[in-house]
Amino acid sequence: MPRHSIYESFLLQQGLALFESLPGGQFVPLGHPPDWAKSLWRTSAGSHLNLAERSPFLENFLAESARFWDSASGESPDSGTWTEQDSAGNDYHLEASALWLDGRRILLVRNLGSIFSARQQVYQTARDSLLAHERLVHEIQKKEILLHTIIHDLSQPLTAMRGCFDLLLVETLPPNIAKFVNIGHRESLRQEQMIRGILEAFSADLSAEQSLGKDAAGPPDLALSSKLAVEQFSPPFFERGVKLVVDRKLDDSLDWRVIGDTPRIERIFGNLLENALRYSPRGSTVTVGLEDRGSSILAFVDDEGPGLPSDASHDRIFALFSKGKDRPGKAGLGLYFCKMTVERWGGTIGADNRPGGGSRFWFRLLRAPAASAASVKSPAPAAPPVTLSVPSAPAPAPKPSPAPPRPLRILIADDNETILELAVEILRSRGHFVTPVSDGAAALDAFVKNKDRNKFDVVVLDQEMPRLNGLETARAICEKEKKSGALHTRLVSLTGNATPEDSRRIRESGFDALLPKPFERNALYQVIESGFSASPDASAAAPSAAPLAGAVPAPPEDLVAHLARLTNDNAKLRRTLISSFLSDAPKKIAAIRRALARKNANDLAASAHSLKGAIAIFQAEKLVAAARALEAMGRAHNLKGAADEFRLLTSGLEELFRNLRALLPRSPRRAKPRRSPRSRKTRP
Amino acid sequence: MLQKKICMLGSFSVGKTSLVRRFVSGIFSDKYQTSIGVKIDNKTVEISGEEVKLLLWDIYGEDRFQKVQMSYLNGMSGYLLVVDPTRRETLEDALDLQQRVKESKGEVPSVLVLNKSDLLKDWDIDSDRIALLERNGQIVLCTSAKTGEGVELAFSRLARAMLESPA
Repeated sequence: MPRHSIYESFLLQQGLALFESLPGGQFVPLGHPPDWAKSLWRTSAGSHLNLAERSPFLENFLAESARFWDSASGESPDSGTWTEQDSAGNDYHLEASALWLDGRRILLVRNLGSIFSARQQVYQTARDSLLAHERLVHEIQKKEILLHTIIHDLSQPLTAMRGCFDLLLVETLPPNIAKFVNIGHRESLRQEQMIRGILEAFSADLSAEQSLGKDAAGPPDLALSSKLAVEQFSPPFFERGVKLVVDRKLDDSLDWRVIGDTPRIERIFGNLLENALRYSPRGSTVTVGLEDRGSSILAFVDDEGPGLPSDASHDRIFALFSKGKDRPGKAGLGLYFCKMTVERWGGTIGADNRPGGGSRFWFRLLRAPAASAASVKSPAPAAPPVTLSVPSAPAPAPKPSPAPPRPLRILIADDNETILELAVEILRSRGHFVTPVSDGAAALDAFVKNKDRNKFDVVVLDQEMPRLNGLETARAICEKEKKSGALHTRLVSLTGNATPEDSRRIRESGFDALLPKPFERNALYQVIESGFSASPDASAAAPSAAPLAGAVPAPPEDLVAHLARLTNDNAKLRRTLISSFLSDAPKKIAAIRRALARKNANDLAASAHSLKGAIAIFQAEKLVAAARALEAMGRAHNLKGAADEFRLLTSGLEELFRNLRALLPRSPRRAKPRRSPRSRKTRP
Repeated sequence: MLQKKICMLGSFSVGKTSLVRRFVSGIFSDKYQTSIGVKIDNKTVEISGEEVKLLLWDIYGEDRFQKVQMSYLNGMSGYLLVVDPTRRETLEDALDLQQRVKESKGEVPSVLVLNKSDLLKDWDIDSDRIALLERNGQIVLCTSAKTGEGVELAFSRLARAMLESPA
């Protein structure tokens, strides 16, 4: 009987099979092999055997083990779990390791037995949960996409139908034809009610999902969510040799609560981290962090991967089913979901290349209001309930439209040719000059080309358009106006997506008003002509037009009275005063913007002081207060909160500009347009 | 007799084990039982008049808990990359895995298997993406371990590709 070392004896007592490696690929068992080893490999004490020939798995593992034994260094290799079957069909779940023991090359094989069953149960439970989670996420995303599709796609043909009936009803029709047109009009309204009903049902369903856990947890804390995401995703990152860390600059003492809901924010972080992992090379680091942006918080995921392809536009990256170029992502649903969710909360999302390499995926959410931060979080600040109400009574027949104001120059963009044609026809029949284009990029192009001469009075934009969508186009127009110091052009959104979240998103992109599709002729007139009314009749509101915050239909009476008093009813002096302010104020705003960008406190104080004096003439107390606050910040060399104050100031000024513009007489060019209302340009 | 090693690769719960069981034993179970570790089966097939013994390495599915050890793939002649088209992310996971295999083992014959063709109405996969893969030379086949549709074909196409491969 051979003698064994204490180690060997111990291992054999544990039921392990020990084999000593001999030259020529032969192995000899140490001691008496356990029964399972005898059954599997027909081995017995002292007998030589070629394990590689008996087990293809071991053949593979022994090659790896041989490298370890030959090098006599490095980590002892483990085989991982594998299953062998004996001649009777019994399964054995095994694991093997290569060792050096008392100067001998030893292969240790362990029968997992009941450990395997326990392990399998754990994995089974975990994977069943993962599958259930995947199915749930998939269902939620499908539902959201379906909602989006219903809102957008079903409203398009309905808009066309409504437009046709509207146009027919203003014609003098024989009574028998008028009867059928009325029926068609009424039925299209009924169909609209049905669609709204479906939307309401979906919307309630989604709201219920969104509200899960809100009351208990309060507004979501981005810091907590980001840390949780890092914790949850650390194992797969570790597996891939990528370091996942929370940004060291993240200050826990600050308030990081935002508008939104925790489970969805966690999913957004999850989607962005999965995306980062996919593109991160081994040995690189992915950093999750937050930045304080005043009224909002920016969350980011930075990677050290190859960065974004040069041709990757924001639209493409976040589009439905968008895919990476070389190493595609998960079919784009994840990032599309992030975009939809963030924008529904009034936030923004984007991706940029980082200066030092790699990419940054970020999203920005509004801070939770103080009241809701203290108690129950609310999904969003109050937004006008625009479209989701179902009319309880049959819709009334179209009313005659108010008297038309002066002809307006209108730029309208919609990728639906039928709707575009109808809208053009409806507006043209009103005497307006219409330039139709089929997408946002074309609208922006037309806007830029006409920004000086023949400037548009109103720009009407559909939301879902190729190349540039409505929101992006509106942002781009506002940006161009800000840069040039030009007066704000009235922006109207035509949209089938008109939930409260959508309307907030639209408002924040710079729109002054939105008109939900399908729309009525009078509502279209009202929403477009609002603010340009030359006739008192024009102030009659159409029920379905929804002015947004910041949109002022006509100058307030107190401003008119104040200017009359100020100028002693001298119209010429009033015009000079207003024109001078409208020309000068944008320059002062630009100076403030420059000062803020350069963090130049002295310039800020001087520019804000100058603007404050100009505004005071018009008794705009809130704006004066904002300018005064900026001036004080500049003088104190403390610019914290200045960006917010400036935003308040500029949005208020836009309203003042509109009010003052409405007090100016129409320009000769506008009073006597060169083009006939029925010029060929109005044809799409 | 010629002997060739085939590895079954793909995410968890895409049907790798079911495909092997259908191919080797002609049986199928609807109950999902997750695989732990590796199990090796074999089957002898005739390819172009030549008998070939296929060693089928059924390797556990990848997920966030487990990644495939590349050492398991040593000596393989080809692999079936299995996707569950009712879960669109399994395609991207499979392609990600294929990239790692290429980096580790170089070009090895493979067949991309879109399993669960019996659930065609639930498929949620980008057909353009599949068409692009085929245009780039990837063999793509539809199978159902449940009905047996396409299973023999998938293994025999892979075996043929392995025999034709210069390696």
